[in-house]
Amino acid sequence: MALTGVEIFKLLPKTNCKKCGFPTCLAFAMKLAQRQASLDACPDVSEEAKKILGEASAPPIRPITFGTGDKAVKMGEETVLFRHEKKFVNPNAFVLEIKDTEDDATVDSKLNDVLTSEINRVGQLLRIDGICITNESGDAGKLQSLAERIAQKAPEVAVMVNTENPDAADAALKPFSGKNPILYGITEANAEKMVEIAKANKAIAGIKAQGLEAAAALTEKVKGLGLEDIVIDSGARTASEILEHNTYIRRAALKKNFKPLGYPVINFVQRDEPMYEALVAGLGVCKYASIVVMSSAEKWKNLALFTLRQNIYTDPQVPMQVEQKIYKIGEPTPDSPLLITTNFSLTYFIVSGEVENSKVPAYLAVMDCEGLSVLTAWAAGKFTGSKIANFIKESGIENEIKHRELIIPGYVAILSGAIEEKLEGWKVTVGPREANALPAFLRQKVA
Amino acid sequence: MAFAEPKEAFPGQVVPVTIGSEIQETFGGENTLPFHKFEGSVPNRPLIAYEIQDVPPEDWPETVRKVYEGVSDDPVKWARYCEDELKARSIALRLVGTHPDSKNLSADDAATVVKGVLDAVKVPIIIMGSNHVEKDAEVLPRVAEVAKGRNCIIGKAQEKNYKTIAAAAMANDHKLIAMSELDINLSKQLNILLTQMGFSREKIITDPMCSALGYGLEYTYSVMERIRLAALAQNDEVMQPPMLGDVGMYVWKIKETQAPEDVLPEWGSLEERGILWEAMTATSLMLAGAELLIMRHPRAVEYTERFIDELM
Amino acid sequence: MLIIGEKLSIIAKRVREAMMSRDKGPIQEIARKQYEAGAGMIDANIGPAEDGGEELMEWMVTTIQEAVPLPVCLDTTNYAAIEAGLKVHNNDHGIAMINSTSNDPERFPMLELAAKYNCLIIGLTVGKGGLPADEEERAAIAAEIMARAMEYGVPLENLYLDPLVLQIATTQDQAIKVIRAVEMFQQLNDPPMKTVVGLSNISNGCPKHIRPILNKYYFLMLERVGLTAAIADPVEMKEAMEEKELFEKVLQGQEIDDKEKMRVMKKTIDVIMGNTLYAHSYLEM
Ligand code: SF4
Repeated sequence: MALTGVEIFKLLPKTNCKKCGFPTCLAFAMKLAQRQASLDACPDVSEEAKKILGEASAPPIRPITFGTGDKAVKMGEETVLFRHEKKFVNPNAFVLEIKDTEDDATVDSKLNDVLTSEINRVGQLLRIDGICITNESGDAGKLQSLAERIAQKAPEVAVMVNTENPDAADAALKPFSGKNPILYGITEANAEKMVEIAKANKAIAGIKAQGLEAAAALTEKVKGLGLEDIVIDSGARTASEILEHNTYIRRAALKKNFKPLGYPVINFVQRDEPMYEALVAGLGVCKYASIVVMSSAEKWKNLALFTLRQNIYTDPQVPMQVEQKIYKIGEPTPDSPLLITTNFSLTYFIVSGEVENSKVPAYLAVMDCEGLSVLTAWAAGKFTGSKIANFIKESGIENEIKHRELIIPGYVAILSGAIEEKLEGWKVTVGPREANALPAFLRQKVA
Repeated sequence: MAFAEPKEAFPGQVVPVTIGSEIQETFGGENTLPFHKFEGSVPNRPLIAYEIQDVPPEDWPETVRKVYEGVSDDPVKWARYCEDELKARSIALRLVGTHPDSKNLSADDAATVVKGVLDAVKVPIIIMGSNHVEKDAEVLPRVAEVAKGRNCIIGKAQEKNYKTIAAAAMANDHKLIAMSELDINLSKQLNILLTQMGFSREKIITDPMCSALGYGLEYTYSVMERIRLAALAQNDEVMQPPMLGDVGMYVWKIKETQAPEDVLPEWGSLEERGILWEAMTATSLMLAGAELLIMRHPRAVEYTERFIDELM
Repeated sequence: MLIIGEKLSIIAKRVREAMMSRDKGPIQEIARKQYEAGAGMIDANIGPAEDGGEELMEWMVTTIQEAVPLPVCLDTTNYAAIEAGLKVHNNDHGIAMINSTSNDPERFPMLELAAKYNCLIIGLTVGKGGLPADEEERAAIAAEIMARAMEYGVPLENLYLDPLVLQIATTQDQAIKVIRAVEMFQQLNDPPMKTVVGLSNISNGCPKHIRPILNKYYFLMLERVGLTAAIADPVEMKEAMEEKELFEKVLQGQEIDDKEKMRVMKKTIDVIMGNTLYAHSYLEM
């Protein structure tokens, strides 16, 4: 069982020496309880406390880092089954499979897809995170030369080697040694040899099992052989198996504290058609996969999958924010009305939707208030007369419109005087309190 | 440590809803989370309805508009095309032309369109207004009458107009879509108000409001998951109607389904992108609990159906 | 239990108008009414008050203390206005309180004032951007605020930790987490840390007739886990205390004679605990 912050605090030295980087032992203990700090940061903690805390603070799903450098992917550490309860922690990795039976041109074109996959969406850089090199040929030499080609052409990309043949594994892992690769293909039959190879190359153990019971037995075996960084393939391939296995694994780890399944999960979702494959990959994103292995990475497919992953892994507690700027709705002219609201994305979606419904072209000024809704932002001093006035002035909207009238949300009618005072030559009009009254309001306005 | 499957059983159950007369379709009815056949019963597959409308779809983007070229100028032809060629299991007729800012078609005009479509096809029909609170309250009662005996779904009833629309649905034996705006508590409130006026909870379809992938999908997704958990785990009766994902309308107006590839080469093929966007919005919402989906592109529908096959 | 009367808030139209026209009548009348109902302190919420905040806060503090022998809780994000209010505050009626600091660096200077004027201060357990997800996150922020308070020289017994009550109508799951946070905060120090809530926010956005019901029973649930102070309507809180025994019985699953009251209490407890989903008509189901 996890300890509470106060229970952890009781085990700390209580000297408030600040060596851990926190102002007090208590603050440090609270962060430990939330797994946002590591016990190693306190140099003075007693051996006994270390032992108790070490056991209690191990997260139910083991944290594992796949790859190295800026583009390394963190996995595991999840704490809930449903995203509304608390943020899903580590977004899954998308991995493209390349087989050692594919010709050089195909390999290069797939590599190119990976290397050019990065896009920027709402301020985040998203990309295909890794490559899975598969020993389709059964030939160790072929896998090795594919591995070398990839290590040379895509040195920064995280790699997973897929083979059940220890000789092939040994040869193909070498170029990625020390770069946190995954050695996938560890089975009951080859575990001893494969774990040796994985250890020698500092690789993560990717176990390949048939069913959950077998998977649990195999992780225990691998752990017994001295390797604790493990990712699980339970053998699920169809959508319904993926849903079932992933759900049981997540539940067993979180609700039953069942350690043998407390590891990140790999799903193989390859299908004949890229569009259909994307939908099965989406199942992995929504339902608990840490690694999703695919057979293609078209740009349109990536865009949809990256967006889905971003949506699902959004912190439900931090209101999603939209960018601060003046949005054009319809095709506004210099005479079109100008409205203002905050950048809480739900507010934005609803207000812009209603302006759209009104069919009145308009400018919507969306102001950065850390994603708070109108009233809350006002109360927190973030949506005030002078801040609004500054924003309007700096936005440059004065060069785009002829009039000088700003429509503010009805909830902050109280601000109209203050804005007029600070925004010289402007008239402030109080709009409706609720967005659904906007269409009627706007239509009347331009009538 | 021995592994035991951590199955979960729930006290509650989603209401099964059957629509149509000559040809019928049933959705809902499960007593477990979406597609959790491994620990509960999932008797019916989600139902996808093809969206058509009373006026030509001028504001639909090219990718999806061109599919209906030659039929979309006439709702009757359009409906037949969906039934005969696309093998639609259901058709959703949206009366956008009745909106005061569109053609402002009258309730009688709408009734004529509805009658034409009903006479032309046999699959179950969903009839929706233009989402204009007052106009819908005028139009929907009239079309509900025309459609009597066909066991349709009409909608959408909202907090501001539910009384008239629900009364019309009740009088003419239809099912009803109850919509609220991404707020689980208001959604519950609307369902309570409906049952308080004597409308059976077994005839409600909850619409918690859809949003497209990348445009608030996570809100709809989580509201749906929470509604479903209230229905199953808390056995909350008013939260047990099946849910609607009105996907097409939200997907085919966003940038990702419209921006051409030559402007945004990093986004890839516009055609594939648009279709995937609709299919992925649909499949994600199904995983959160939607059992009735309204969609536009036949290929998006096809892939979504295939996804359902693999999960059922 | 310290009740801090909440009624003098700029959000209320009548109060706003009185503030703007500097009309002492309504302000003093409302202050007096709260005092008579048992308030031990009066909250003066003047909003962000970007312009003329100093002068307004001064006026509020003196106006209130002319009418009632109570300390004032100075409620604004405007630093200068707080300082102006503290300067004129009559400490013969008790120690003033600052509402509030938090883990947002913009609000740290409030601690400086609390140290300088040796007054009480509310520490709202929120950081920059985003609301705390649960009691653990609130406690972690509380620990940081406590550390910061010590840094600034504010004694911990002057710090009131506020878990931030959210609206049950939109964030129902937070209701129980706030109760747990109040329990947890107390454990953060020995003697236990003091706690405070802005109570009425629980029922913000709910229909008028159920607001007092939610306020009262939510208050009683917080009171029984050791809450120190509440910014609330003193009239409602007085009524709540009168129902305390009955409520405790219902909470323990016992029967009480007044079946209607029992039904209302039970349904409200279920909604607060998250056993049933909130809807405006939850009492009618
Ligand atoms: S380093 Fe250890 S002893 Fe020092 S403040 Fe941090 S937790 Fe306390």
